[in-house]
Amino acid sequence: MKKESVDAIISGLKLAGINFVSMLPDSDFTDAQKAVMADKHFTCVPVSNEAIGFGVCAGAWLGGKKPALLITTDGIMASAFPLTTLNMQKNIPVLMIVPYRGSLGDGIWFVGPMAFTTEPILKDLQVAYTVINKTAEVTQTIRDAQLSAEAWLRPTAVLLAGEVIFEEA
Amino acid sequence: MKKPECIKILDRKLDQNVLVVTPTGKTYMYWEATGREAQISQLNLGLCTPVGLGLALALPHRKVVVLDGDGNLLFNLASLADVAVQNPGNLIDIVFDNECYQSCDSFPSVTAKGVQLESIAKGCGIKNAVTVRTLDDFEAILAKALTGNELVLIIAKVEPGEDPVELPRQEARENKYRFVRHVERTENIRIINPYSRRRKKDFLPSS
Repeated sequence: MKKESVDAIISGLKLAGINFVSMLPDSDFTDAQKAVMADKHFTCVPVSNEAIGFGVCAGAWLGGKKPALLITTDGIMASAFPLTTLNMQKNIPVLMIVPYRGSLGDGIWFVGPMAFTTEPILKDLQVAYTVINKTAEVTQTIRDAQLSAEAWLRPTAVLLAGEVIFEEA
Repeated sequence: MKKPECIKILDRKLDQNVLVVTPTGKTYMYWEATGREAQISQLNLGLCTPVGLGLALALPHRKVVVLDGDGNLLFNLASLADVAVQNPGNLIDIVFDNECYQSCDSFPSVTAKGVQLESIAKGCGIKNAVTVRTLDDFEAILAKALTGNELVLIIAKVEPGEDPVELPRQEARENKYRFVRHVERTENIRIINPYSRRRKKDFLPSS
């Protein structure tokens, strides 16, 4: 991931008031995740699967923190259970920042199926989301997603695509 | 040792402001019957301990007590590793291990087949992982955990079977609001922010 994208993500999280981040590594997202972990502004809690991350973030929100999850596209699928029985059932918000594997421009064969599963799953799980392709839009969009998550008491997701995540071929 | 007897000890020992995290089922209902408001409840399979971890990290000056079960914990066993790494000194994680899925006609869990949660927890790095089988031992380790500042995991071996209990009247959202309002009041913070984007000039600064 380019440095401009990493900086835009960090700026967006801070602008949104995020102060608690849980994450599971993704090969194309680790630059941003390492930068968040190195920034003392954030309480960082790496977890062993994304479902645990949703629980940890819910607990943090109940304790007054503003949490975000930095997780993979397939992590969304692994989290259908907590999104249903925790976030949807109790109306608990969390901001999800996700590099959108399977978006057009992705050149790895095994993420192809995610082009067809990611957005339908988000809709089914009542996660409001937006897809951004331009780095210049990242910071403000992250803030907007957090404002809506707070007011609606629902998870929201920012899916990063295009020049935000992909290096030149 | 029966779970309702352990709950009575907890009710006697825990300050009203201790934050308690409970799963679905009878454990939640027993605790609800104590009449406390600082309970976030009905956390389904694998989510009880993770929610307790997040809560403990968010409020490190408050005691957080998780009342988990063997089946619930086993669903996300890796959460023990994540708890161990974070090592919050204000978290007391109690696992009522009845060696079965009580709500599913007592279908046996793997702890009935020899799986030792204490060994797994210690292997993860939770040094204060203890298995207790009597009420006296349960009360003693609980008292020690409440006065200390270290992460403690208590595996309480309890008999299968449940006692009748009053059916709670609240559902999950009402429980969340009650818990959040308790934290807001006792911590003097705002958590719920239904007007996150508004024209500031239209409202008092305090709002």
